[in-house]
Amino acid sequence: MEILVCVKQVPDADVEVKLNASGAPDIEKIAPVINPFDAYALEMAARFKEANGGAVTVMCIGGDNVKDTMKNCLAVGADEAYIINDVVEGADAAATSEIIAAAVAKLEETRGKKFDVICCGKESTDYACGVVSQLLSEKLGLGEVVDVIGFEPKDSVLSVKKETEEGYNMVEIGTPCVLGIIKPDYEPRYPTMKSKMAARKKEIPVVAVDAAPVSAVKTVKIYEPAKKTAGVKIKEETNEESALKAFAMLVDAKVL
Amino acid sequence: MELKFNPVTPEIIEQLKAIAPGRAFAGSEINEDYAHDEMRFYGQKLPDAVVEVVSAEEVSAIVKLANEKNVPIIPRGAGTGLAGAAVAKWGGIMISTVRMNHIKEYDLGNLTVTVEPGVLLNDLAQDAEKQGLLYPPDPGEKFATLGGNVSTNAGGMRAVKYGSTRDYVRAMQVVLPTGEIVNFGSKVPKTSSGYSFVQLMCGSEGTLGIITELTLKLIPKPKEFVSLIIPFEDLESCIATVPQFFLNKLEPQALEFMERSIVEMSEAYLEKETFPKVVDGVEAGAYLLVTFDGNDRDQLDAICEQCSEVVFENGALDVYVADTPDKIRDAWSARSQFLESIQAATDELDECDVVVPRDKIADYVNWVVTLQDKYHISIRSFGHAGDGNLHIYACKEGDMSLEEFAEKADLVMDEMYTKAIEMGGEISGEHGIGHSKVKFLEKALGEKKMDLMQGIKKVFDPNNILNPGKVCEKCD
Repeated sequence: MEILVCVKQVPDADVEVKLNASGAPDIEKIAPVINPFDAYALEMAARFKEANGGAVTVMCIGGDNVKDTMKNCLAVGADEAYIINDVVEGADAAATSEIIAAAVAKLEETRGKKFDVICCGKESTDYACGVVSQLLSEKLGLGEVVDVIGFEPKDSVLSVKKETEEGYNMVEIGTPCVLGIIKPDYEPRYPTMKSKMAARKKEIPVVAVDAAPVSAVKTVKIYEPAKKTAGVKIKEETNEESALKAFAMLVDAKVL
Repeated sequence: MELKFNPVTPEIIEQLKAIAPGRAFAGSEINEDYAHDEMRFYGQKLPDAVVEVVSAEEVSAIVKLANEKNVPIIPRGAGTGLAGAAVAKWGGIMISTVRMNHIKEYDLGNLTVTVEPGVLLNDLAQDAEKQGLLYPPDPGEKFATLGGNVSTNAGGMRAVKYGSTRDYVRAMQVVLPTGEIVNFGSKVPKTSSGYSFVQLMCGSEGTLGIITELTLKLIPKPKEFVSLIIPFEDLESCIATVPQFFLNKLEPQALEFMERSIVEMSEAYLEKETFPKVVDGVEAGAYLLVTFDGNDRDQLDAICEQCSEVVFENGALDVYVADTPDKIRDAWSARSQFLESIQAATDELDECDVVVPRDKIADYVNWVVTLQDKYHISIRSFGHAGDGNLHIYACKEGDMSLEEFAEKADLVMDEMYTKAIEMGGEISGEHGIGHSKVKFLEKALGEKKMDLMQGIKKVFDPNNILNPGKVCEKCD
């Protein structure tokens, strides 16, 4: 099977993001990493390929700045990687899914092969919209299963394990299809020295797509949540005195 | 030696409460945590009073009072020690520095930072990073205080390249056991000005003075890091590879060895599997975890390639690369939870943190493994392969009684320390002596050197009130 994994590069989520002087997230000095849900999607696709054959392609919207992330993907199971050089500043989820849909068509045309499965991480850790895969399946006219923690071939369809709040659902879906991947019960593999060196030698084509997305959602303002002020400790000699003082303070604050 | 002190009377407690209003505690007001450090096995005892100090002046007033009344003083940081140094074995007044937790000043011209002793290692590490700087000492316990780190000369993962805590202490303010507040050292990077009080204080485990301020050296933070997970089929080939790093002029920032069983234990504890267990059909039995740092990615890649060649020649099954912050974090998270996971999996444990010459690690560890059969006791080990510092745990398992375990563990410890000394090593690499390892230190150093240590202690502390029975005093 031909599997496409859509990857986004995000700032390392372990570093606290502050706003810069112009009010934008100050992420310049934060190391970029593959979006964790996309890393799970890639690992799931790589395991599927190892068990059933096929090929895994990764794509990422971006410029030169995503090249290292793409190389890392090539070192952990991807066979081909493409950079979609169609960055639209402030693209909303709909616009992003439109670019990805156009990229899918372009890559299928370039490679002369259709994708059977298109995997997306459930959401990105930066803006966390969590709807790109659904919008993408709608734009491509494909069926989709979300909250996927595993998939395998079954006759002519895919058997997909989906996590729900109550447990798991086993569902079947025909291909081509879109899968929204969440964290399975394993971790993405580490690249090996050999796979890193092999990845370094691989070409990562930059592809321009024919899309003119319009973002309906515009970010008006980004701001940090108000800091909680420190509480007041009331520690009188006795519990009764502490309670009386607390009530007095509530009366003073006109809460009571 | 027999120690005789006066009791901490209600009158003394009143005076302590006057010195530190709202921060002096006695009797049932004292939190149970103050009765022990991380090794409860070495004994627990609540102090008679605890004062959470906020200034050198308060410390000085308490120490003067303790001298006058002949009651012991026990300095304590976060209580994360592993040798009993901060346990009030003879009662007395515990001085806790946890409230002295302010980072006071960065001097970027001299590349130093001045802190209060209760600042946590984790807090300084993160704060320094924001300035583009690195505080190199990196002990596994990130929530220890810096005062405690200096007092035990804590080492950690990066000691192989950067040295241990004492290499980063430029100056300190100290309250002497007689109550005077003195400053040792300065910000200057070199000195040839008599005996080094700063170095004497490092590793003295609160027996010579109470640190109330520290000026520490920082370095520019390297821009690039790569960690490698290197599986081997067995522990023997894994450890035997360690000297090859240095023979091949590789300069790792950290170089740790670990057995698979400990990795699995830690991963189960963290509920996250990180290390590969089967490589091309071969079961991994042990791992090296290595970090290289530098300022140039290409240069670092070349070092990793050279390292790979070296380890493959020595039987490595593969080399796994962590070169993004998330992967590096995952690779080290299992390592940083080794002690906690061993503690969680065993009823009781005794530990030694011997250090042996790097080229003797393999011989030593292989010899240690034989003690399991000799004493019918479970032994787990991991360690800083790069600097020869090994953490070896005798674990109480099954239905062995505590008394039987204590007896066996003592014999095992004695054998391990004796062997380490024979091989040219030392009793403790970074955890210190406390009260639990004094007899082993005495055996290793001999009478003359113990006399010298006790002589130094007496010069500082003529009334022997500061952390008695620790480091060099064997007491009944």
